[in-house]
Amino acid sequence: MRIPWRRLTATLAAGLLFSLGLAAAQAGETATCGNHGTSVEFVDTPALAAKKAAKEEKLVFVLHVSGHFEDPRFT
Amino acid sequence: MNALANPEVGKYLNEYFVSSFQKVATFKIVGNQKQGGNVAAYFCAPDGRVLHVVAGPVNAQTMLHEAKWVVETTRKAMEVARGDGARFKATFRKAHADRLRAEHGLVVEAVTFDPPLDQDDKGALTYRDPSGRPLAPRLPPPPIDGPDVTFRDKQEAAKAASFPAIADRKGGRWNLGNQGRVHQLMAAHCLVKIEKLYGTVFENILGEKISTKPVEVVTPFPWVARKGRE
Repeated sequence: MRIPWRRLTATLAAGLLFSLGLAAAQAGETATCGNHGTSVEFVDTPALAAKKAAKEEKLVFVLHVSGHFEDPRFT
Repeated sequence: MNALANPEVGKYLNEYFVSSFQKVATFKIVGNQKQGGNVAAYFCAPDGRVLHVVAGPVNAQTMLHEAKWVVETTRKAMEVARGDGARFKATFRKAHADRLRAEHGLVVEAVTFDPPLDQDDKGALTYRDPSGRPLAPRLPPPPIDGPDVTFRDKQEAAKAASFPAIADRKGGRWNLGNQGRVHQLMAAHCLVKIEKLYGTVFENILGEKISTKPVEVVTPFPWVARKGRE
């Protein structure tokens, strides 16, 4: 039996592109600026957090720090 | 912030809150050590009005307990208020006064009505910081009426822990830690916008100076670095 390599390659490529697109879309939905070494997902600014919270019917958690929160050594 | 590294805390906060952070004060780096600095966690409504504050670093159990209290109290207040904003605010402030009595043994009267402010933030006579924003006000906490004798053990525990002293309206002196002071403040200023409240929390409760200055790096032996550069 002959394997149709050209068709198989095209199908695989299409599948790969679809999965990549899906992953990108999922990442876009939960866009955060990272967790900075914690278990909490942070968005960039409190204003953005407020907008997202209103949309998702959640509350807002704002951390005020005196330090480099991005650098765990100084937080 | 070890509390926020806890997976259970992270899961709960991610489920019920959208989180963000801001830098509001500075600290010194002497050698490789950090000196000074603090943290405050604000639980807010989506419009930026503060429901509760955790002042200072706490462990994961405390952070989770406070986060759950906010969610549960919000649910109860929404049921009681039935769309009435004033009643929602009064319910939350009474909840803070109740926690101050039950957990710290002191009584305050919750302020359930805010008189209109005569300060004009856009007026020429308003003090502003170099970026042009009005300075964060220092909100006065409501006066303490005195102890609740049914929770006498709470005050004894606070005294044993050497919490800072606070005076009641009759001149009696009691001991109250950071979280007790938060409840005292929130019994009068809960559901105030975060930009009006954070100055009071950071300066009056945590004893930090608000600053937007960059981090100050202090090297104990500056001539060593200077010599190395030459």
